[in-house]
Amino acid sequence: MKLFAAASAALCAIALAAASPASAQATGGAKLCASPQQMDGFKTCADVAKAKAEGAFTLYSTDPEQGQVKLLAAFNKLFPEIKTSYVRLQAGALYAKLLSERQAKSYLVDVIQISDMGMILDFQRKGGFRQYISPEMQFFPKEAKSQPEGFWTWGSVIMAGIAYNPNQVSAADAPKKWEDLLDPKWKDSINVKVSNSGLQHGVWYMLMPILGADYFKKFGEQKPRAFDSYVQQYGRLVDGQDKVIMGAQYSGYIEFKAKGAPLAFVFPETGVPAVPETYGIVDQAPHPNAAELFMDWFLSPVGQKALADALLLHSPRPDVPPPGGADTVPLSKMKLLTPADWNAFEKDRPAFAKEWNRIVGTGR
Amino acid sequence: MADASTGISRPRLNGQALTTLAVLLIVGFLVLLPMVFLVEESLNVGDPMAFPPVEFGIANYVAIFEEDLKTVWNTLIIAVMATVMAIFIGFTLAWILTRTNVPGREKLERLMELPYYMTPLVGALAWAVIAGPKSGFINQMWKAVGGTGDIADIYTHFGIAWVMALFEGTVAFVMISASMKSMDPALEESARVMGASKLRTMLTVTLPLVMPGVLGAMLFVFAEMLGSFAAALVLGIPGRIYVITTAIWDSTLSYPPDYGRASAMGLSLFVVMFFMLSFYRRMIRRGTFTTISGKAFRPRPMEMGRLAWVLFGVCALYVALAVVFPIAALLMTSLQRFATVLLDQAQWTLANYETALSLGPVRTALFNSIILGLGVATVGVVIMALLVWIIYRSQLRGRGAIEYLVMFPQAVPRLVFGLALLWAWLNIPIGIYGTLWLLALAYFTVMLPLGVRTLAGVVLQIDKSLEECARVCGASWAYQMRTVTLPLLKPGILAAWLLIFMACVRELGASAFLMGPNAKVIAPSIVSAFATSGTELTAAMALIQTFTVIVALVILFRVARGMTKELQ
Repeated sequence: MKLFAAASAALCAIALAAASPASAQATGGAKLCASPQQMDGFKTCADVAKAKAEGAFTLYSTDPEQGQVKLLAAFNKLFPEIKTSYVRLQAGALYAKLLSERQAKSYLVDVIQISDMGMILDFQRKGGFRQYISPEMQFFPKEAKSQPEGFWTWGSVIMAGIAYNPNQVSAADAPKKWEDLLDPKWKDSINVKVSNSGLQHGVWYMLMPILGADYFKKFGEQKPRAFDSYVQQYGRLVDGQDKVIMGAQYSGYIEFKAKGAPLAFVFPETGVPAVPETYGIVDQAPHPNAAELFMDWFLSPVGQKALADALLLHSPRPDVPPPGGADTVPLSKMKLLTPADWNAFEKDRPAFAKEWNRIVGTGR
Repeated sequence: MADASTGISRPRLNGQALTTLAVLLIVGFLVLLPMVFLVEESLNVGDPMAFPPVEFGIANYVAIFEEDLKTVWNTLIIAVMATVMAIFIGFTLAWILTRTNVPGREKLERLMELPYYMTPLVGALAWAVIAGPKSGFINQMWKAVGGTGDIADIYTHFGIAWVMALFEGTVAFVMISASMKSMDPALEESARVMGASKLRTMLTVTLPLVMPGVLGAMLFVFAEMLGSFAAALVLGIPGRIYVITTAIWDSTLSYPPDYGRASAMGLSLFVVMFFMLSFYRRMIRRGTFTTISGKAFRPRPMEMGRLAWVLFGVCALYVALAVVFPIAALLMTSLQRFATVLLDQAQWTLANYETALSLGPVRTALFNSIILGLGVATVGVVIMALLVWIIYRSQLRGRGAIEYLVMFPQAVPRLVFGLALLWAWLNIPIGIYGTLWLLALAYFTVMLPLGVRTLAGVVLQIDKSLEECARVCGASWAYQMRTVTLPLLKPGILAAWLLIFMACVRELGASAFLMGPNAKVIAPSIVSAFATSGTELTAAMALIQTFTVIVALVILFRVARGMTKELQ
């Protein structure tokens, strides 16, 4: 956790200063409630009786559907009176749907999760979040929370390394560093994610200054193929259609490995680029009390544990064990590379998308 | 549209005029409203998230020529290849099953329709397993018998077109069959009596007579292929082949979303469709296709002798390629812990079915899809039959324009039209956003071209004199519709109903943007499972969907048959 904090040490001041100017939400005056109520495994400031009376809770999220169902079922088990529902779309489409709905004053959602900090900061600037300070937020590192606190919070951290299939590639032959991927022997056998992926953008953004601008130019000569999701990336590795994943999502590796797929994961010593999935309560939420109750539960160790079980993602909370089995590497043992300035990261996106589309041969 | 009533002769300004006016107003509104938003957005050159747009220009259209020509070219090549294959397959199978005495006709016909019941993604996933490069089954077998390299690669232009033709081409088969069924066999018999061979009879008599059906199917299928998404998503991207729909998918998923570009690309296909439709109208105006006249006829299939078994073989081959092999491949995938085509490393499990069935929202989604299919098909087909009658039989001025109008939703890729529907209906202050009612309206709108094309092929075959006869004998318009026109349209109506039902159950593009948290349908869930949860779960969900839909249809047909018997 120390490394994690260190890697992103400088970010808070810059990121948050940039997020706030002239924003309606910069001056959010909410405070932590005086006497949070102790629930089963977490504390809440929500009015539990009102939340139950509201009887429903809706989440918009980018996470896989079956994971989503598991997470909401865990919450519903604690509060059977609160019926849960969700909408799942990819980040860009989900955010666009959300904005269109708000523009038409159609309020259907209570909490959103978006895996892209650019959209989160944009939504905060637009005054889309409602500030609510959860008693559980104090256990999150500073960079994982909005400034001021209570608008959004990181629910999990996703990191990207290198993966290969040990049945196709021996451990001795396998790449160990990011630079090893430039070896001509990997030509036509590497896959990556498409330019829409926030994680792939993270890989590009964080590695470029370390490895030099030339790195990705040479990487393009390897003719990598791009896919929407880690599922297709690992699937092609398993079937021998590709040999290596550049920027392999660790949670996907844990998932496939648990099913018995022949896979190996490499944490290059340079570090692994990482991006968060961020949660926040939406302004004008139709079930505000249920939304607060959900956030308190979700950010607590019980909720974070449910998330780890459902989606195999790492919690930003130091006191929550990593997902998967005993051999999963915890955050504290990783060298995470996280953008220090999320606004600069977001501004880099169009340039990245253009260059990445060229590298993966989208031909657009 | 306001002058709809004035175009109709005074004394009969009753049922006919009112119905015509109502149908036109509803359809015009449903189709034009989203189009307005779409055109506006395609001209948006400012902030893509600004709504309504503030800066206008044609930069989005210029960009297509500057940057997307390769994508447009890929799209056209694949659509042409797929249409040619689909029409060839559809015509051959329709002819075999309606005009010859091939053994097991009825059963075969039901089997032919099967591919259309499946979500389009299914065929692509299955064929990726069968004919993928390096490790697909065909290549594994090839290597097992000593071959080197790959003999099959589905990730090519031809591969994508092949999957589209097999799985989305069924619509051609159903449309062409409908018009063949309504054909008087006396014409074919005359040809045979005069000494023409069976093949010659088929090419010189059958084919020209069912031309409206074939052309209509071609028009529709070509549009469908231009807007086809699933096969290009699964098979195009690994082969680095982008088509307009996958490019649009990309531009709506990235942030900020490039809606202007997506709209412009969608609308550019409009031009292609406009020329296609003009060509179609010219073709059908040149000839007469009346085969149902006052004379009684009983469809009699041609005696094919031993050749019948060869024809049976042709049908069986199609069923194997489009139904048996894909389902077997999917079944295998759905029973694996992680999807793999290398069977020595596969681990078998039933867990995917357990997961799929335990997903409560997925169960509701499947139920919703079936309900929507039943509702939209039943109500829709009646309105569409009226529309077709207005376009081809009424004396209404400007009825040609209506034909263009109802083709609009097909001329723009469904994903883009789905966005347009979202913008349109979000901004109408009636509380149907996020409910199944909105999905029903959207489905009706996007199914208009399908229903109208299917029914038009049949209407053109009905001799006008039959209707005129009814009117001369004093029947009112409503009475004539009920006792003459609609009964004659029966094969077309049944085909249209079935096609619309199936198209609703597998609808993806419009649903993706219009689903609400409590109003979900099945196809987007399956696509999102493909994108996020793995092929094995996707395969299990797709098989459950296919199976449920078939069971629902079997029950429905049984009940319907029972009811008609009672009535008789």
